[in-house]
Amino acid sequence: MKGFVLTRAWSIARKEVRHVRRDPFTLTMALGLPVVMIVFFGYAIDFNVKNVRIAVVDQDRTPSSRALQNVFSSSDYFQTVPADGRDGIDLLDNENTKAALYIPPGFQTDLTRKGAASVQVVLDGADNQTTGVIASYLGGLQRAANDRLAVAVPVPVRLDTRFLFNSELNSRWFIVPGLSVVVIGILSILLTALTVAREWENGSMELLLSTPVRPLEIVVGKLFPYSVLGLFSLAFVYVAARLVFGVPFRGSHLLFAGTGLVFLTTVLAQGLLISVITRQQLLAMQLANISGMMPNLLLSGFIFPIESMPAFFQTLTMGLAPRWFMYIVRGVFLKGAGLFEMGVPIIALCAINVAIVALAVKKFKTDLEP
Amino acid sequence: MSGRALAVEVEGLTVSFGDFKAVDDISFSVRPGEIFGFLGANGAGKTTTIRVLCGVLVPARGRVLVAGHDFSDGGWRIKHQVGYMSQRFTLYNDLSVAENLAFTASLRKMSAEKTAARMTELFALIEFDRPLTTRVSDLPGGLKQELSLAAALLHEPSVVFLDEPTAGVSPASRRRFWDLIRRVSQKGVTVFVTTHYMDEAEECDRIALMRAGKIIALDSPAGLKTSAFPEKLIEIEAPAENVVEWRRALAASGAVEGIQPHGMRFHAVLKDPERFSAASKGARWREIRPSLEDVFVRLVEGDDR
Repeated sequence: MKGFVLTRAWSIARKEVRHVRRDPFTLTMALGLPVVMIVFFGYAIDFNVKNVRIAVVDQDRTPSSRALQNVFSSSDYFQTVPADGRDGIDLLDNENTKAALYIPPGFQTDLTRKGAASVQVVLDGADNQTTGVIASYLGGLQRAANDRLAVAVPVPVRLDTRFLFNSELNSRWFIVPGLSVVVIGILSILLTALTVAREWENGSMELLLSTPVRPLEIVVGKLFPYSVLGLFSLAFVYVAARLVFGVPFRGSHLLFAGTGLVFLTTVLAQGLLISVITRQQLLAMQLANISGMMPNLLLSGFIFPIESMPAFFQTLTMGLAPRWFMYIVRGVFLKGAGLFEMGVPIIALCAINVAIVALAVKKFKTDLEP
Repeated sequence: MSGRALAVEVEGLTVSFGDFKAVDDISFSVRPGEIFGFLGANGAGKTTTIRVLCGVLVPARGRVLVAGHDFSDGGWRIKHQVGYMSQRFTLYNDLSVAENLAFTASLRKMSAEKTAARMTELFALIEFDRPLTTRVSDLPGGLKQELSLAAALLHEPSVVFLDEPTAGVSPASRRRFWDLIRRVSQKGVTVFVTTHYMDEAEECDRIALMRAGKIIALDSPAGLKTSAFPEKLIEIEAPAENVVEWRRALAASGAVEGIQPHGMRFHAVLKDPERFSAASKGARWREIRPSLEDVFVRLVEGDDR
């Protein structure tokens, strides 16, 4: 754009810094809130299911059936509840029990004579999130039971699964880096969404526009200080993830910081765009909340994997910065992915960044209408 | 005035917002160094005109030259040449006096030395005696307006536009501010000012009267009075009783025109002195010089009757 003057952008940036330094609310929202939210939600959101109450209907009452129960109760995942003559299904209905284990009479006899015996596990399908996780545990427990009950069963094909990068499938390792993206994304939009609207509301925009300052200078000048603020907040969140949740970091810090900066400026530019269009703080705040919440939380792959979305949404998410930064952050944290593996997401992120900044500049009206 | 170009030249300026014509085909010019007043009710189009002249509103139609520059480049060159003081307070309340002015100066790419020199000069002009580290929010209303004027003058514009600069400040501050305007004008800066106040309009070298987007009169205050009241304007003391009937009879006689109440008395244009003495039933009267308020009432509100 012709006539871009760096010193003017720098003046705007310095002025913004002064505003922020004198506004404890903004500082707290920018630096403190993300860490608080990471720690808070990091503990709250846990896809690991532990201590599932499982009702046991033991109709065999033999050492073998008790050994099988033991396999369940000695794992961290289950807590056995004797049915005591009640039906297991009733317990699923009434108690806080998610599963029931039926051991039929003759379990031990079958085991010793035929070398194989069946038991049945009934799961509460109403809560399919939890149930899915429980079902995934059963394979492991089956193998443990086979070992414990010392029956050498020849298995034709034995699947030996090993989980790379997060061998314990610790869901916090997976959640916390993603949560950082969500929290930083949602809060950063709010930082800039108010700045331009505030200038329209308190009249200072008239002063700005009566000088030869250009929209690009205002946008750059406003993005810069908040990006620095955002980098600090990203660093705090990083420290919280490492120290509080022990999430490993296997990639390049430089790559993390670099892509983080691109993501931050993209989100901040989105806030500016909203502010430029609405010119009203209240409206800007609401739009920022909606446009921040939905893509970051629901369409970024944080909770719902992109791969399982309908084709339309998969395409839609390609235009959303949180999706790409989510991918980068998880890769960099857990897999130690480098610049090369992250090529596509990085290019996509940069393209979205340029597009949103350009749109914010273009939509910036230099006209004063009554 | 000869040899110097006009400070502002406007020809056929029209600004519309949708179907509404905020400014409707106006033409006028402002001479350099003049105090030029814009008088009119709210919504008459004063602010819209000023915004065009400051380069912050691109006109739909018309030729506009401000300090020799037009809108061929979107108004950027105009912005370099003019100072603008909005009717809203536009400085940052959470910044100090010095920070506000330094910020404005930096947006206009003024050097640090130049800024410091201008600030000293302007603080002397407005007789600002508080610490420069004072937050603007802590200043009283009158001082805020004076500071806004200083901000608008910082880059030594040749024309400064003041949009209702004294709205909402005390009468004493108002007088101080007009002293300031005169001093600024004496330094050769063209001052373009809008106002509601008649006494302020009297201070202008020339006044344009705006109504519904059009300029209905433009002259010096004295010229306006002469052209609006070619006949004698008189002040009549009403009788103590039956004022309503008395006024109706007087109006019906055709001796006077446009009787307007002014406090306990009436102002009217004398048409026929002989018939008047009979119709007024001996009421006391004297010839007066019309005030701008009389002019305003005659020109603006006379049309509505």
